[in-house]
Amino acid sequence: MSESLSKVPNGMRYYFGAEARLRRYVEDTAMSVFDGWSYEEITTPSVDYYALFEFGMGQREAERAFRFTDTDGRMLALRPDVTSSVARAAATLLARRVRPLRLCYTGQVFRQQSPSHAQWKRESEQLGCEQIGSGQGAADIEMLTIAAEVLKRLGLNNRFSITLNDVDIFNGVAERLVLDPASRDRMRHLIDIRDMAELRRFLAPYAQEEEASAFVRLVERPGRSEVLAEAQRLIMNTRSAEALARLERLWSVVEALGLMDQFEIDLGDLSGLDYYTGLTFKIYIEGVGTRAGGGGRYDHLTANFGRPEPAIGFVLDLDAITDALSRNSSFAPVLEPEQAVERLNSDDISALFMQALEQRAKGERVLLNAGGPK
Amino acid sequence: MPELTIAIAKGRLQVATLERLGRVGIRADEEALASRRLWVRDREGRYRFIFVKPVDVPVYVEHGIADCGVVGRDVLLESQADLLQPLDLQFGRCRIVVASHKPELLSNGFGMLRVATKYPRITAEYFGSRGIPVEIIELAGSVELAPVLGLSDCIVDLVETGRTLDENGLRVIEVILESTARLVVNRASFQLKAEAVSQLIKALGESAKEEA
Repeated sequence: MSESLSKVPNGMRYYFGAEARLRRYVEDTAMSVFDGWSYEEITTPSVDYYALFEFGMGQREAERAFRFTDTDGRMLALRPDVTSSVARAAATLLARRVRPLRLCYTGQVFRQQSPSHAQWKRESEQLGCEQIGSGQGAADIEMLTIAAEVLKRLGLNNRFSITLNDVDIFNGVAERLVLDPASRDRMRHLIDIRDMAELRRFLAPYAQEEEASAFVRLVERPGRSEVLAEAQRLIMNTRSAEALARLERLWSVVEALGLMDQFEIDLGDLSGLDYYTGLTFKIYIEGVGTRAGGGGRYDHLTANFGRPEPAIGFVLDLDAITDALSRNSSFAPVLEPEQAVERLNSDDISALFMQALEQRAKGERVLLNAGGPK
Repeated sequence: MPELTIAIAKGRLQVATLERLGRVGIRADEEALASRRLWVRDREGRYRFIFVKPVDVPVYVEHGIADCGVVGRDVLLESQADLLQPLDLQFGRCRIVVASHKPELLSNGFGMLRVATKYPRITAEYFGSRGIPVEIIELAGSVELAPVLGLSDCIVDLVETGRTLDENGLRVIEVILESTARLVVNRASFQLKAEAVSQLIKALGESAKEEA
């Protein structure tokens, strides 16, 4: 075969055997947890108008998509995320359904340009949940609990960490400093890459040294309730203070549930999609160098489709989870090749199938050797 | 506490990096260092060092094979890796410059400039932001030779002392950026090995302050 036919495009791959079985197992586990919390499955179109994703994810992220044109010249995209499409469905098809809507999905997403070198794949599978129509509070906790339950059911207990932040804490600070868009991006970037020395220099014209240092300490590393207490002492603007109060209420529930080991507060976690409006969270699993998932509140997204309502959702990256699991020996049963089955041999095709149907009726696995070598 | 793997750039920064780590009490086994092994443990068994080419440091750290790394800012900017960069270690100071034997080049140039470099991204971004069209000739080494032999009009390269430039009759026309060694950290390690990572950042941070 010529090279052009045997080659697989960059960032695309096959899954087979044990790996495929493990993926299916993770999918089934996640979907059964979603079902256990009464989330209904939704399947969204694989191809949609590019404009949908531009609205949904923001231009910067949407531009990573594979794009092509429809017969009428409108630009289409292979979906780079599922949330945009779910938000549209909620505002249109499902507009009259009782709120909150609880929707879940598994689906491939595609990015022509991957976001980092470590995430070289251009097709990946997301397992996700969205809750549309409920404001902050119980819905936020519900999302976090569901994400944690999926990971625990997969045996990843004590091997994952979910970090919490609220984008309005940063937004409020940027607003108070009256930053132009470029400086705001710069500050956000410095916090995101934790370049604290540079952040200190950046803040020098805006804040007194003591205040700047205290802010730097706040975003420097993840922590727990002490971070919130310190933040509340330091950050006074209304927008940030409200966000901090929300995070504090959330954290008190996390404490009441005894889940402190699985969660952390990380006010320096600012990367990701522009559409988040409140709580954001990121999921990390031991043994996986990249983020294994994340989510947050996107209260403005559905307004793009004519029906403003609060919403929250998250996704887990299937490959990140299977990577972590395949390094864990307790998953041997799923990774083992299928049990040997007795081959059914016969030259008499009717007899062969008679026996096969009988065994299938009992739910047994069969492997036919019809007319082939014995 | 979990063991941390630190990727160290071989070559220019290696000695200074080990010296700095040693100053904060992180010492590799001398015997192992002297051998040609590509990875060694520290004496207390808290750290594992791997020695790789500078351009490979961001790769190992981004994939999470190494939790942390020490590498020049020049390499980081060129790699565009998605990494945390908590510390400027203040050593290995150097500059990325435009150099040529024709210093009038940039001031009166219309048309296409040919630039030889090991840093195609930094070069493209720099000239692109100034609206100067360039043809980038990517080389793996001895970049100074290119303008001398007429392969390019100028070079974009790393300069520490400027001696190599002098010896080849090249002069610095413009400084694109200053570079020093940086500590970089994998995003997942930063969360999952938070305590070990922040101890390392704290120790090295204090030593960098002394330096600065």
